[in-house]
Amino acid sequence: MDLGLQGKGAIVTGGSLGIGTAVALELAREGCNVAVNYRRHDTEAKQVVAEIVKMGQKGMAVQADVSSYDDAQKMVEKVVEEFGHLDIMVCNAGITWDGVIWKMTEKQWDQVIAVNLKGYFNYNKAAALVFKDQKYGKIVNISSINGMRGKFGQANYAASKGGEIAMSKSLARELGRFNVNVNVVAPGMVLTDMMEAIPPEFKNKAMAETVVGRFATPEDCAHLVAFLCSDLSRHVTGEVIKIDGGQYI
Amino acid sequence: MFSWFGKVSFVPYSKVSDFAVHLKDGRLMGSKCKKCGYQTMPPVADCPACMSGEFEFVEYSGKGTLYTWTRIDAAPTGFDDEVPYALAVVDMEGGGRMVGWFGDTIKEEQIKIGMEVQLVPQIFDETEEIKVYYTVEQPGTTWGKAPPPHLG
Amino acid sequence: MSRVGVIGIGHGRFGRRSDATVQELAFEAFRAAMEDGGIERDALSATVIAAVPEYHKQRSVAGVVQEYLNLNPLPSWLTEVACASGSAAIRTAWMAIQSGLHPVVAVIGCQKMTELSTAEILALMGRVGEVQWESVFGTTFPGYYAMFATRHMHEFGTTREQLLQVAVKNHHYGAMNENALFRKEITIEKALASDPVATPFCVYDCCANADGAAVMILAEESRAKELRKDGKIVWLDGLGCATASMSVLKRENLVGLPSAKDAAEQAYRMAEVKPGDIKVADVHDCFTIAELMAYEDLGFCEKGRGGKFIEEKRSYIGGDVAVNVDGGLKSKGHPIGATGVSMAYEIVRQLRGECGKRQVPNADIGLTHNVGGIGQYCFVNVYRRD
Repeated sequence: MDLGLQGKGAIVTGGSLGIGTAVALELAREGCNVAVNYRRHDTEAKQVVAEIVKMGQKGMAVQADVSSYDDAQKMVEKVVEEFGHLDIMVCNAGITWDGVIWKMTEKQWDQVIAVNLKGYFNYNKAAALVFKDQKYGKIVNISSINGMRGKFGQANYAASKGGEIAMSKSLARELGRFNVNVNVVAPGMVLTDMMEAIPPEFKNKAMAETVVGRFATPEDCAHLVAFLCSDLSRHVTGEVIKIDGGQYI
Repeated sequence: MFSWFGKVSFVPYSKVSDFAVHLKDGRLMGSKCKKCGYQTMPPVADCPACMSGEFEFVEYSGKGTLYTWTRIDAAPTGFDDEVPYALAVVDMEGGGRMVGWFGDTIKEEQIKIGMEVQLVPQIFDETEEIKVYYTVEQPGTTWGKAPPPHLG
Repeated sequence: MSRVGVIGIGHGRFGRRSDATVQELAFEAFRAAMEDGGIERDALSATVIAAVPEYHKQRSVAGVVQEYLNLNPLPSWLTEVACASGSAAIRTAWMAIQSGLHPVVAVIGCQKMTELSTAEILALMGRVGEVQWESVFGTTFPGYYAMFATRHMHEFGTTREQLLQVAVKNHHYGAMNENALFRKEITIEKALASDPVATPFCVYDCCANADGAAVMILAEESRAKELRKDGKIVWLDGLGCATASMSVLKRENLVGLPSAKDAAEQAYRMAEVKPGDIKVADVHDCFTIAELMAYEDLGFCEKGRGGKFIEEKRSYIGGDVAVNVDGGLKSKGHPIGATGVSMAYEIVRQLRGECGKRQVPNADIGLTHNVGGIGQYCFVNVYRRD
């Protein structure tokens, strides 16, 4: 299967780590020019860019706080200028800040919503302006199975991840006529840095939930995302595809 | 779906319904009679020249010349939020004549009978369902072209 | 072929007739026509009714009018070709008479337009042209004629003032017509200052919707002479009718109505007259440009010279041909089903010498020019007084 991604321009938010990095590298491998953004991990980001360039594509790392509306706009403009065009937007940057509701502070709530939900809005919107005009675009928003169910101590995370899903469906409806696909990839447990902070008993519990007896690798997610960025999936839009090894059926 | 075409549609189906589908994809289509070659725009299923019902769509460049125009100040139902709007009657390169709205690239002061114009497909962006139309613009104006899909 | 003569005519007041139903309006004009002719109902063989159905709540208007006029069980049917319905009914009556089937026929043009709400009227307004390719962009009836005006001004140098002189003339004569909707003179300045409708038209370039009725009774020659005791019979000697495309996208040009030109040629040939023989005419001035184009299409002047024709007052009483000296559609109002019959009413009265202050001297040959829509139908009739 030839995904036909040669020469396309892509942005991957949160591309310096985990799923984001895997997606960025997979897209580059398939022939895309890829721009990533990062908040703190500039070394890792530069490393990703170096690998993209080694594969023969253009790469770019932009520092940006995804919760900034203007930064998103600026990044998209910069990428369009450098790459000549933008065809793919993958939103992946996200944080957790768990806590039961009776202890959750206002800041805990606001921060997770701002980075996860507003962040996706910022980049989806900036990309939509470009995609609508050129009558072409692929948006993949990475959510979570924990946006489809309610985990203990994750009111803020669940709200943000659930919100990303509903938002994506709305956008799919609005942008369909302009030949723009908007889909959601909802992973379960993935072996990334974010997972480091989780205590072993929760990891085991998650493992027990899967029917395949393992966790996803970032590359597993990247393959699915790449497919959704390709014209081979042009008839898939407004869809949520879980990639959770059967963790939540 | 012919009902996609126009701000208000009165015709849900027609033998040339695909005109609207092509318009959504950014292509302006006229018709050509398979029997005698009579070509015109807007497309027509039944040939006025030889009476045949066999036709095919032919893509038009969208170029044309302004024949006449008017600005509507008193609008019919369904167009109250568009008024005032200027209507152009355009003689099409390739044969035929179309009526449509002037677009953003032509200001009223610039309108001159005989001027060269370009019909450009458009998509209404704030309707629930898909609705398409075209505007009459300065020559050289283009529709954002989508690349052809890569199907592996 | 024997001749067909007009033996009775009647006309009601045109306007916003919220005081009457369409059948009650028809009765006013019918009563007047029967009295004018001195005829009883049993003299009639059939009726042809002209009304445009979509403006009425009553479906099948012909039926309710026939009933209210107490004309059952006489044969009757509706003719409809938009604003030319009245003349279509006259042509149908003429054909019915010539066929021998119906020697005496009452033509009843009647119309209510004010039964609909503004929104309903505005919705209908958008569907005058061709709905598949044109109405989708919000074309309107004034809009179409405005496009003709724009092109006419471009090709021939016709001016705004020349267009509005049509309105000024017709209001001048309408002020003297007790059946007209608008009975006040206007000035060019007042007209130019009115609200824009569709460039270059403003309100005063456009006729107004109205309610009203007019009736004409036609008879085969020998019956006519029997029934009309005073001998004042006006003969319908020339008839022309032609169609043109519904869509303006299919017309060869937008500076004249080919259906009018074709219909006029037929009528002149049949009546054995030339344009110069016409002394008085009622033409379809739904919009100012329509009257200027009518002068040209009817051969009163050359193509493109319509503006000059009215500027030189050649369509006033005393000019080459007196046009619309009953006020035209502009001043009378335009109850679409009735207009064609109203035109005939005026011409008949002119040829009989009954028009008082508005009488055209030596009016022996007259003409009506009735257009449906944007010229998809046109009927031209020539009347003669022996």
